[in-house]
Amino acid sequence: MPFIDVNGEQLEVDEDGFLQDPEKWNEDVAKYLAKTEQVEELTEEHWKMVNYLHDYFKKYQIAPMVRKLCKDNGMDLKKVYELFPTGPAKGACKIAGLPKPTGCV
Amino acid sequence: MVKTDFGPPKYLDMMSDLCKRNYGKWKYHEVLDTGTLVHVAENGEKLYTVRSATPRLIHIDTLRVFCDLADKYCNGFFRFTSRHSIEFLLEDESNIEPLKADLHAMGYSPGGVGNTISNMLHTQGWIHCHTPAIDASGIVKAVMDEVFDYYTEAKLPARLRLSLACCLNMCGAVHCSDVAIVGIHRVPPKVLDEKVAKMCEIPNVVAACPTRAIRPEPAKKSVVINDEKCMYCGNCYTMCPAIPIFDPKNDGAAIFVGGKVSDARHPAMFSKLAVPYIPNEPPKWPTVVKTVRMLIDVYAKDAKQGERYGEWINRIGWERFFKVTGLPFTDKHIDDYIFSVPTFRSTATFKW
Amino acid sequence: MPELRKTPMLDQLLDGPFPSFVKEIKKGAEKNEACNDLLGQLELSYEEKITHWKHGGIVGVTGYGGGVIGRYSDVPEQFPGLTEFHTMRVNQPAGWFYKTDRLRKLLDIWEKRGSGLTNFHGATGDIILLGTHTDELQNVADDLAHEGWDLGGSGSDLRTPSACVGPGRCEWACIDTLDIVDTLTRRYQNELHRPMWPYKFKIKISGCANDGVAAKARADCSIIGTWKDNIQVNRTEVVNYVNGGFDIIGQVVDKCPTKCISYNPVTKSLSIDDNNCVRCHNCINKMPKALRQGKINGATILIGGHAPILQSAFMSWVVVPFMEMKPPYTEISDLLEKIWEWWDENGKMRERTGELIYRLGMRSFLKATGLPAVPQMVLHPRTNPFFFWDKEEVNQ
Repeated sequence: MPFIDVNGEQLEVDEDGFLQDPEKWNEDVAKYLAKTEQVEELTEEHWKMVNYLHDYFKKYQIAPMVRKLCKDNGMDLKKVYELFPTGPAKGACKIAGLPKPTGCV
Repeated sequence: MVKTDFGPPKYLDMMSDLCKRNYGKWKYHEVLDTGTLVHVAENGEKLYTVRSATPRLIHIDTLRVFCDLADKYCNGFFRFTSRHSIEFLLEDESNIEPLKADLHAMGYSPGGVGNTISNMLHTQGWIHCHTPAIDASGIVKAVMDEVFDYYTEAKLPARLRLSLACCLNMCGAVHCSDVAIVGIHRVPPKVLDEKVAKMCEIPNVVAACPTRAIRPEPAKKSVVINDEKCMYCGNCYTMCPAIPIFDPKNDGAAIFVGGKVSDARHPAMFSKLAVPYIPNEPPKWPTVVKTVRMLIDVYAKDAKQGERYGEWINRIGWERFFKVTGLPFTDKHIDDYIFSVPTFRSTATFKW
Repeated sequence: MPELRKTPMLDQLLDGPFPSFVKEIKKGAEKNEACNDLLGQLELSYEEKITHWKHGGIVGVTGYGGGVIGRYSDVPEQFPGLTEFHTMRVNQPAGWFYKTDRLRKLLDIWEKRGSGLTNFHGATGDIILLGTHTDELQNVADDLAHEGWDLGGSGSDLRTPSACVGPGRCEWACIDTLDIVDTLTRRYQNELHRPMWPYKFKIKISGCANDGVAAKARADCSIIGTWKDNIQVNRTEVVNYVNGGFDIIGQVVDKCPTKCISYNPVTKSLSIDDNNCVRCHNCINKMPKALRQGKINGATILIGGHAPILQSAFMSWVVVPFMEMKPPYTEISDLLEKIWEWWDENGKMRERTGELIYRLGMRSFLKATGLPAVPQMVLHPRTNPFFFWDKEEVNQ
C-alpha cells in the first residue's frame, strides 16, 4: 500500500488514494487529498460538503446516497461536480476521509 | 474545458447508403446458409449479411483486419450483434464467398444463423473481473470448440442460446438462456475483521445479505456471518473487499437449461437448474464441456422441429428430462430461496 | 521487449475451430508489456483456480462519475504491467453499426494509450477498452472525445441503453429502436455520466416479441415493439411456402399458442382469428415472406427486469400494454422521469426498481406514475383476499 506525507506524518492510502484509517483524518489531510482530486482550494462551500460527509459517515457508518447528499446541502448535482470535478464518490468522499465507496460497477 | 455529454456517434453516420435508403423499409429476409442472411427491401434492393462469432476479447489488430475486410467487401460497413458476433453487410452477392474465404484464412468461420448455436454470450472471468467463481473465455472456447458443428450446421430443432456468467451477479442473460453456465461458490466468505473496520460500510454490508446471515459485531467494528444461513452469493463481497469468498477447492460451475427471452409460441422463461456443481478444471473444463455437449445432443435428438429447449422440457416433463439426460436429481434442484412454493408440484399426474 | 510469458495451460486453448482469445492476447503481448503480463497472470489463475484482480477500484475522468472501472492486480510484483489495468466503457453507436474509418480512429487511440485489448461488446452493450494506467484515463477520454466517442455508464447511474438492429436491417421492427435509443441516450447524458440513484438502471429496446437484446431479462425498463391491428397475409406467398414443402401445420398452425390460425389444405389458404392472436410472432418468424405484422405499431413497456440477487432474478413485467412511439418520445420520457423520481425518493441503497416495486407493491408504483391498472399487467388476478384500501376509498 502506498503512503502520503501530510505534515511529516506517513498515512496509508489504497491504490486509489483513499485513506485507510479514518481516524487519521483532519483538516490538513483533507487539504492534501483535495489537491489530488482537482480541488486547488477548499472554500467554505467545499468544507460544508466535506464536513457533512465526514459527520454523516461517523453517525451512520455509510456514505449518504447522492440524492440525500444534494438535498441536505441544498445543492444540485451540477453544483457538486463544479465543486468536486471528479464527482461525489471519488472526489468528495475521498477528501472527507471516507472509505472507498463500493457496490456494483 | 473538456468536451462532455455529447453522446455516442450518430448511428446514421455508421450506416451505408443502402441501409439508410431502406431504413424501415425492409420487406422480408431469408436464411441462405448458417452464416448468411439476405434482407430484401420494398424496392427490391438486397443486403447480404455474413455473420461470424468472435471470442469477444479482441485485439485491435484483429479489429483492423475486420475493417480491412469491410473496406474490401462492404464499402466499409459492418455491425456487431448483442452476442459478440460480427456481421459484415454486403451489397454485392459475389463478394460473399471471397469474404468467407478471407475469414476462414484468419481463423474465423461464418455460422450462428438460423437453427444453430449462435455465439456464446459471456463475461470477463479471470481475465478482468474481481468477483468470478470461474473463468469465462476459457470455458467458452472449450465449449464452443466441442459444439462447433452445431454452430456451422443447422441440425438443431430450433435456435439455441448458450451463455456463461462467471458469478452470481449474472452479467449476461444466463437466467433466460437455453443452456447456461454460472459460476458459483460453495462455502461462506471469510471476514477479515481489521480490514472490515477500516474499509467497509457496515450497514450496507448487512443489508447486502439476502438471507440475513450477516449481523454487525460492534466490539470489533466488524460483522459476523451465520454460516448456516449463507448461500454464498458473494453480494457482501461486492460491498466489502474485506469479506473474500473465493475458494479454489470449492468454486465451480452450475448448469441451467430451458430459458428464453423470445415470446414466440411460449412466453419467455427462466432457465432452471440441471447440474448444481462441476469443479473448475482449467484449462479445458472437460466435465463442463462433456455435460453441455450431452445436454445439447439429447435435445437435438429428442425435441420436435421448432421446439426451443424449454418448450421441449415442458412437453416431456422434468422427470423425463432427468431420465433421458441421466443427470441425478438432488435436493439442490428443489428451490428453497424466496419464491419456492409455486415451483412445487401439487398434482398426482406424473410420467414414469 | 521481454520474452513472451510461458503459458502451457493457456496454450491448450490456441487450437480448435472457435477463434482463440489466447491468440488475441498474444497478439498484444508481442508489443505491449501489459498484455504479456496478462498472459502470465491468467496462467497463474489457471494454475490456482482463482482470480488475481483486487476488489474494484474507483478511478475516473473529470466531470464524470462513471464510465471507468478501476482494476489492480493482486500480484503486481510478478506482473508489473498489471499494477494498474483499468477498464473504460465507450458508448456504442445505436444497433452496433460501424463505419471503418470512424472505428479505426478509436483503435489508434487505444493502441497509443492502452493495452490494445477490447471487448466487442460488454454485456450492457458498450465497447469495452481493457487495461490502461490511471494517468492515461483522462488522455484516453480526451482523445476519444476529439474523435466523437463518449464514455458509457457505470455505477449507480443510467447504464448505456442498447437496442436491437431495428429498422436499420430488419423488417420486424415495430418501432424505430435505433432512433429511440439514440434519442434517450442523448436526452439523459447527465443521468448516464453522473451516478445519482440508489442503483443502476438499464434501458433496452427490442423491435419485436423475439426480443433480440433480451430486454425483458436484463433491463429495468424494457421497450418491446408490437402492433394492435391484424397480421397481414400474402396469400400467394402462403401457397409458395406450402408448394415448397413447408410444414405449415406442424410449424405454424400447431405451434400457435392461442390456436387462432387455421389452414385449409384444399384452397391452400391460411386464416387468422386476429381477435384471439396475442402477437407472439411465431407464425411471422416461420413465414416471413407470407406474413407481416399489422400497421398500427407501438411498444409494450415493461419494468423491473434484472438478474441478481437480493430478491431473485426478475423478468420485466407489463406496465403499459401499448404506447405509441413517435418522436420526440415524450410519453416514454415522462414515464421514465416519474419512475426515477419515485425510485430515487423511496429506494434503499442498491435497490433496483423492480425490487422497490416488489417491496412497496404495484399499487404504490401505479399511484406514483399515474398509470391505470389493466388486466394485461397480470397473468391472473390475485388468489388471496389480503389487499389494501386507501383512506379515500372507504366510507369515513
